[in-house]
Amino acid sequence: MSVLSIQHVNQFFGSGTARVHVLHDVNFDAKPGTLSLIIGPSGSGKSTFLTIAGGLLTPTDGDVLFDGQSYKDTSKKAREQLRLDSIGFILQAYHLLPYLTVADQFKLVDKVKKLHNLTPMELNELLNQLGIQDLINKFPNELSGGQQQRVAIARALYPDPKILLADEPTAALDTARVKVVGNLFQELAHTRNKAVVIVTHDIRLKEFADQIYELRDGTLTKQSTKVFV
Amino acid sequence: MFLALKEIRKEKLRSGLIISMIVLISYLIFILTSLALGLARENTDAIDSWGIQNITLDANANVDMRQSLLTAPQVGTLTDKEAYIGQASVVAKATGHERISSVFIGLDSHQFVAKKIKLTTGHMPQTNHEVVVDTSFQESGYQLGDTFKLNADNTNYKIVGFTKNAKMNVAPVIYGQLSTWSSLKGTSSSTIASAIVSKNINYRTSSHALKTYSISKFINKMPGYQAQNLTFGLMIGFLMGISLIVIAVFLYILTMQKLPNYAVLRAQGIPSKILVGATVSQSLILVLSGLVISSILTIITAISMPSAVPMAFDIPILIVVGVGLMIMSLIGGLIPVRSVLRVDPISVIGG
Repeated sequence: MSVLSIQHVNQFFGSGTARVHVLHDVNFDAKPGTLSLIIGPSGSGKSTFLTIAGGLLTPTDGDVLFDGQSYKDTSKKAREQLRLDSIGFILQAYHLLPYLTVADQFKLVDKVKKLHNLTPMELNELLNQLGIQDLINKFPNELSGGQQQRVAIARALYPDPKILLADEPTAALDTARVKVVGNLFQELAHTRNKAVVIVTHDIRLKEFADQIYELRDGTLTKQSTKVFV
Repeated sequence: MFLALKEIRKEKLRSGLIISMIVLISYLIFILTSLALGLARENTDAIDSWGIQNITLDANANVDMRQSLLTAPQVGTLTDKEAYIGQASVVAKATGHERISSVFIGLDSHQFVAKKIKLTTGHMPQTNHEVVVDTSFQESGYQLGDTFKLNADNTNYKIVGFTKNAKMNVAPVIYGQLSTWSSLKGTSSSTIASAIVSKNINYRTSSHALKTYSISKFINKMPGYQAQNLTFGLMIGFLMGISLIVIAVFLYILTMQKLPNYAVLRAQGIPSKILVGATVSQSLILVLSGLVISSILTIITAISMPSAVPMAFDIPILIVVGVGLMIMSLIGGLIPVRSVLRVDPISVIGG
């Protein structure tokens, strides 16, 4: 069963002659244990896709189901709780609070979500995997762009979400780090059974994906599916 | 609270500047309040010490004791809850001392007002050449047993006692006998006093030539009293308003800078109440810190201020002013909350 199912979604912005059809009859399923990569150029509707997938935007037409339940039947507050408990967002910018150390970014999650976060041992393992274990007491302004991005990834994973929605997670990383992050996402999908959805134009991530989609002018097309032997 | 404390700790300079601003404003408000209170009390300290409920004056005196003269037939019989007061403006002069503009209050030593006067030293006047004076005379170098003359009168008046906080119309009070007041005022034999004061709230004069006023009305009609209090009240009110604007502007700017971060947190499902709580608690922490520092400064000022400066540091009133500032800061802190509640998580997705 899909964690996230997007069914016949159309999204329009504006009205009259300024009306823009951003997403055209989009269908998509994110299954546990699968890393889905959605590749598209700027302006193709990637961000709109992500906001709809995360329940931040209600589509003009169509339906979005999380664990079989439609967002339409879920209150705004319940969707907020869902994002806190089950959806890990990794965003391109402004991902970390500038006045919190790396450790405090995780403490903030503990303050609002008391249960089912990663254990200290699991967090330590994750930080080691991302190569940021020594940065725990640093503030974001003391970190490079790549380090900040990796902390943001760790932050998104800390509440142990069912699905990870990532917006250009490797934009600030060099190829070596892309490999590390790509492997981490792959491992999260395959070993920890997470559904991972990455929206990007970084083709370096293709080799890690189980499903590759192309989003062009609002139309989502499946390009390939990796077959595991 | 967690976010607020972390931010304040990280942004020390920014927080320090806001706290400094609050310290300056609240210190100014505390000092102005103390000055207003001190001046107000210097108008009424003596009257307050008499413990009276109302005052009866000549109906044509325009609620001014200095203009009032009562005769024996007008007054009639008094009970033990009423007392005569004779008021005269005098200048005390003695060789080797500066002249002191004062208010002479003539009392009947058998009546309750004379019995209520608390002396720091000495005894109440027993002859019409003896007086009890406010302790400010002591600060001007007078001692028990010293004498001075009043106005153009050549009589020497001997200081036989000192009393604290005996001020009226911002002048020190000289207590003496009613007969002394009569001779200073040069009244006729039928004039008995300037006023009748009573501790009985229901006391009313039976004479049509006289009128009884509540003590609050009498005080409010004292020359300059209301204008002075209104002026200070307005200044304090304006400062409160300014503090609200300053706090609101600072917090608004701080919050605006954080909105993109807050948008990310909202996208991640952090409830808006956490962010609102952070904004409000940040304003409360900053204002509370500012108030604590300015309170310490006010205490230091109170200790070091010479007694000649008419300032009264009344802790309950200053607490009320402090709470007022806290409420203002809370209102100031709530203004940017609207922006926090309206932050759109979508704005940080994509780029």
